[in-house]
Amino acid sequence: MGKPDFRVQNLHVSVEGKEILKGLNLHIRGGEIHAIMGPNGTGKSTLASSLMGHPHYEVTAGEVVLDGEDVLAMSTDERARAGLFLAMQYPAEVPGVSNANFIRQALNARRGEGNELPVLQFHRKLQEKMKALNIDASFAERYLNEGFSGGEKKRNEILQMSMLEPRIAILDEIDSGLDIDALKIVANGVNQLRSDNIGFLIITHYQRLLNYIVPDHVHVMMQGRIVRSGDAKLAEELEAKGYDWLKKELGIEDETVEVEA
Amino acid sequence: MSEVNTAVSHVHRVAQALGEPSSLLALREAAWRTFQELPQPYVEKTDLRKLTWETGTFSEQVGKVPAEVQTYIDRLQHSYALFVDGLPIDLRLTEEAKAAGVTYCTIHEAPEKAELLWKANFGTVVTGNENKWTALNQALFAGGVFLYAPKGTHIDAPFETIYVWTGGESGAYSRSLVVAAELADIQYAETVFAATTGAKVVNSHVLEIVALADSRVRVSTADAFHRGPTHFVTRRARVGKDAHVLWTVADTSDGLCVELVENELTGAGAKGLARVVGLGHGRAHVELTASMRHVGRHTESEIVMHGALRDKANTIFRSRTEIVKGAVGAGSEQHDRMIMIDGTARADAIPMLLIDENDVQRCGHAASVGKIDPTQVYYLMSRGIPKSIAVQMIIWGYLHDTVESLASDPMRDLVVERIERELSR
Ligand SMILES: Nc1ncnc2c1ncn2[C@@H]1O[C@H](COP(=O)(O)OP(=O)(O)O)[C@@H](O)[C@H]1O
Ligand SMILES: [Mg+2]
Repeated sequence: MGKPDFRVQNLHVSVEGKEILKGLNLHIRGGEIHAIMGPNGTGKSTLASSLMGHPHYEVTAGEVVLDGEDVLAMSTDERARAGLFLAMQYPAEVPGVSNANFIRQALNARRGEGNELPVLQFHRKLQEKMKALNIDASFAERYLNEGFSGGEKKRNEILQMSMLEPRIAILDEIDSGLDIDALKIVANGVNQLRSDNIGFLIITHYQRLLNYIVPDHVHVMMQGRIVRSGDAKLAEELEAKGYDWLKKELGIEDETVEVEA
Repeated sequence: MSEVNTAVSHVHRVAQALGEPSSLLALREAAWRTFQELPQPYVEKTDLRKLTWETGTFSEQVGKVPAEVQTYIDRLQHSYALFVDGLPIDLRLTEEAKAAGVTYCTIHEAPEKAELLWKANFGTVVTGNENKWTALNQALFAGGVFLYAPKGTHIDAPFETIYVWTGGESGAYSRSLVVAAELADIQYAETVFAATTGAKVVNSHVLEIVALADSRVRVSTADAFHRGPTHFVTRRARVGKDAHVLWTVADTSDGLCVELVENELTGAGAKGLARVVGLGHGRAHVELTASMRHVGRHTESEIVMHGALRDKANTIFRSRTEIVKGAVGAGSEQHDRMIMIDGTARADAIPMLLIDENDVQRCGHAASVGKIDPTQVYYLMSRGIPKSIAVQMIIWGYLHDTVESLASDPMRDLVVERIERELSR
C-alpha cells in the first residue's frame, strides 16, 4: 500500500439538528503532521468525532475519502480497520475488560482473520511499547481506563495508537491535563511513529504541544470552519499574539459555533 | 382424600427406595401435611395463581449420565457427588479430605453415619414449615449430600454436588446439608444440569449451611433451570460468631424460577457476601432474592448482583438487607445492576432495607437498570472491533469478576460456556 491519503471536503456536521461544522476542508498525506488549533467550542472535537463516525454526529454534506475509499459509507469499526485512529479527548472506561485483552482484540481485528498476531509476540510487542511510553507493566492487566488518571488515559490512547499503527491518526487534546514530563513522553511516542506510512491530525488549543511535535501545517478553526492555514510559524504567532489578534483581523466577534435560534 | 393417600404413598416410596430409618419417615410425613395445609403462597413478582403444585412421580430407574455431564465430571479433581434425577450415581472424596476426617455421604445415609450432627442440624436452617415449597422439599427430598468439615479443617478444593435432571417429570427434590465446624475453611459447590421438559410439575431445591464460629465457607452455584417445571430454590446459611459465608451464584436459567440465597448472620461479628450473576434469555422468568439477615452484633454483609438480559426474559433481582432489633453496629452494602442487551426483556432491580435497629454502622445501596453504555460500544468500535463483539466484551467485562470467583476451573468454564452460548446467538 502506498502513502496514506486522507481528504475532507466541504464537511457539514450537525448535532441534534444544530449545524456545528460549516464546510471544512483538509488534505493530509502520509508523512505530514497537521495541527488544528482553536479556542474552546469552535468544533474541533466535533470534527474528530464525526470523522470517526460517532453516532451522535450527523454529516449533512461533504466527502471524506481515505486512500480512495468513501469513509462516510463505513461504520466506525470499518473506519478503524481501514486505518483511521482517534485518540479521544474523553476515552470511555470499560470495567472488567483488561487493557491487554482489548488491545489484542483491536489489533487482531485490524490485521484481519487468519493474520492474528500470536499471543506471545503480542505481549512482547505490548511490553516494548509500554516501556517506551514509561507505562507501568501492571497497566496491561488493569481494566480499560477504569480509575485511570487523566494522564494515564492519554498515555493509554498513545499506547493503542502505537500498537495499531494507523494510517491516519487524529489526536484530540492529547496534551490536556498532562504535566511537562508526561507531555514529553506522549510527544515522543508520536515522533517515534512518524513516517511516510502515517499522517497526523493534532488537535489542541495550546501551542505548547507543538514545541515537541513540530507540525508541517497549522490550521486555525473558528465557527466550525478553518479560518486560516499556515506552517509552524502560525502556531508561534498565535502563541505570541493570542487568538484575539486573528479574530480582529478576520472580523470575528464570537469565535464559537454560533447558534441561530 | 384419595389425593392425600397417593401422596403419602409417594412419601413412603421415596423413603423406602432410599432405605432411610423410620424416624425420617415421620419427619417427611409431617412435612407433607404442612405442605398440604399451607395456603397458596404470594410471591411479589411471580404470579403463582395458575401454577400447579403437582409433584412428579419418583422413579427408581437410574437415568443415563448425559455426555455433556460426563465430560464435565471427567475434568473434576476435587471431591464430588453426582445425582441423576435424584438418585446417587457417584461420590468421590479426595485423599486430602479423607485424611482431614471429613464426613461426606448422601443425605440419606447421614442419619446413620452422623446421627448427632444430623439431629442437631437437619431442617434447622431451612425448616419444613416456612413455606409451601420448603415443606414439599422436606417431605420428598431425594438426592443431595451431607458434608461435615471437622474443627480446623482447611481444604481449598471444593466439594461439589452435581444435580442432573434428564427431563422426566422428576419427583425428586434435591437437598443438601453442609456443616463447617469451628475454624474450618472449606468450599462447597452445586452445579445443575437440567434438560428442558414439557412436564408441568413443581420443583423445590434446598441447601442448608451451618457455619460454626470462626469458620469460613465459600459456596458457588452454577444453575441452569430450564422450562417446564416451576423451580423454587432455597439456599440459606446460618453464620456463627466471627464466621464468614461467601456466595457466588451464577444463574443462566431460562425457566420459571423463584430463588433465594440468604445468610442468617446470627453470631457476633459474622460476615456475609453474596455475588450473583445472571443471564436471562429466552422466556425466562427468574425472581432471585439475595438476602442478609443481621441478627448478631457487629455483623457485616455485602450483596453484589449483576444481571444481563436478552430476548423476552424477565428477571427480578432483589437485594434484601434486614437488620433486626439488637443487631447493633451492623454494616451492609448492596449493589444491584442490570443491563438489557436486546429484545423486549424486562428487568427489575429491587433494593430492600428492613431496619429495626437504630445503631447501624453503615448501610449503602445502589440499584440500576439500563442499556449498554453506547459510549463504551463506540470506543471499542473506534479501535476496529465489530459491534457484536464489542457488546459481548462489555457484557463479559461486567460479569467477569463474579464468574472468576467461582470454585473451580471446570465450573468457571461451564458458566463461561453457558453465557457465551446465549450471548453469541
Ligand atoms: N454531543 C453534543 N451534543 C450537543 N452539542 C454538542 C455536542 N458536541 C458538541 N456540541 C456543540 O458543538 C460546539 C462545538 O463543540 P466541540 O466540537 O466540542 O468544540 P471544541 O472541541 O472545539 O471545544 C459547542 O457549541 C458544543 O456545545
Ligand atoms: Mg474538544
